[in-house]
Amino acid sequence: MDAIKQFFANFGRKFVINFVEQNRWRYLADGLLNTLIITLGAVILGFLLGFIVAVVRSTHDKTGRMKVGNFFAQIYLTVIRGTPMMVQLLIIYYVIFGAVNINKVFCAVLAFGINSGAYVAEIIRSGIMSIDNGQMEAGRSLGLNYRRTMLSIILPQAFKTVLPALANEFIVLLKETSVAGYIAIQDLTKGGDIIRSQTFEAYMPLLAVAAIYLVMVIGLTKLVRLLERRLAKNDRR
Amino acid sequence: MIDVSHLYKSFGDLAVLEDISETIEKGEKVVVIGPSGSGKSTFLRCLNLLETPTSGTITFDGEDITHCSGKELDRLRRRMGMVFQHFNLFPHLSIRKNITLAPVKLGLMSREEANETAERLLKRVGLPDKADSYPNMLSGGQKQRIAIARSLAMNPEVMLFDEPTSALDPEMVGEVLDLMKQLAEEGMTMVVVTHEMGFAREVASRVLFMADGKILEQNPPDEFFNAPNNPRLKDFLSKVI
Repeated sequence: MDAIKQFFANFGRKFVINFVEQNRWRYLADGLLNTLIITLGAVILGFLLGFIVAVVRSTHDKTGRMKVGNFFAQIYLTVIRGTPMMVQLLIIYYVIFGAVNINKVFCAVLAFGINSGAYVAEIIRSGIMSIDNGQMEAGRSLGLNYRRTMLSIILPQAFKTVLPALANEFIVLLKETSVAGYIAIQDLTKGGDIIRSQTFEAYMPLLAVAAIYLVMVIGLTKLVRLLERRLAKNDRR
Repeated sequence: MIDVSHLYKSFGDLAVLEDISETIEKGEKVVVIGPSGSGKSTFLRCLNLLETPTSGTITFDGEDITHCSGKELDRLRRRMGMVFQHFNLFPHLSIRKNITLAPVKLGLMSREEANETAERLLKRVGLPDKADSYPNMLSGGQKQRIAIARSLAMNPEVMLFDEPTSALDPEMVGEVLDLMKQLAEEGMTMVVVTHEMGFAREVASRVLFMADGKILEQNPPDEFFNAPNNPRLKDFLSKVI
């Protein structure tokens, strides 16, 4: 009981020390900005990559074409999903771009985007494969070619099916960017850590960091639910 | 109009069609019947190359569709409508969009023209007030009539029907068959795989009996149903009628 009383008695003072003094909140704000930039960039890159790989893979599965593309897609998926995200980040920064002076945030966008792409690819592919083959046949029998049928008929339905899984992937991605600190990017997590190293207080900055992630994830979830509801308008019976 | 010669189709080791040769003339209404697994659906699906024949040639209006380019095939498919057992409407699109998608995307009609065509076709299939509905709000019979309207929007020269009433509740079979009869009366060339013997009797200009991947007998409906020769056909008819 005493500990709890103590905690609340000190709360205001600690809040001031950790966030107000010397404008320490700026570490969190700057970090948040970097986290958002990395996440947004990686989501876009990951979606594009994943989309392309998914279409190549499912075209191969359905028609037997694109053998070379499928081969490289398989290698990409195996390597990316078979090694830890953090190792990939370190390799991209220290090995691939080791010799050149390069923007770290750009490096992180690349690393997280390439990583996310592998997972997005399999999510979208599962969506494409879940659409009844009759849809493709109906499109083709009307004289639409494979590409047109894919774009106008298969993919819109597949996208709707995989939206919850995609949202989940992007939520994971948002939180996974917290390892960006390993290449000395000051992201949200690192920002909290810097405050901790200055004030020697652990719970204030770290709880604040956790709370900010949580709020972002809740916001993202709400956004996706809104989108899902919009896309579900043709499910009414 | 459609010439099939020495058509073979096998899935792995399973021979589904064996040496089928057949000619379908313009204006004919050919009904294909036979026990399940006899290859009749595969035969129909070969006609617009939804199944690729193992060997043999199919020509449509003088053009060899089994050996043409993919582009050429897409162009030929526009002229052959197809209606499926499970309708295969596009569930994410409104009925209007279902009908107008292909003509608009292929640049055959402007959006306005296509919408007018859709209105006209919906009236024709008896569902003028469904343009803004979505497929899963409709009954099976309504879905199939929309599927027929969707095919008609391409102004096809021949219509292929793959068991169009097999997935329907009994009380909805009539509305689809009536629409098909109407099409037949207007002179549409039709190839119909079905189990509806009444339809075959009434509408067909020729009935084919398929079993084990071969066409065992064919005749105009009167002879076909009243004086069958092939023992397999006699047996089949005794079971279904």
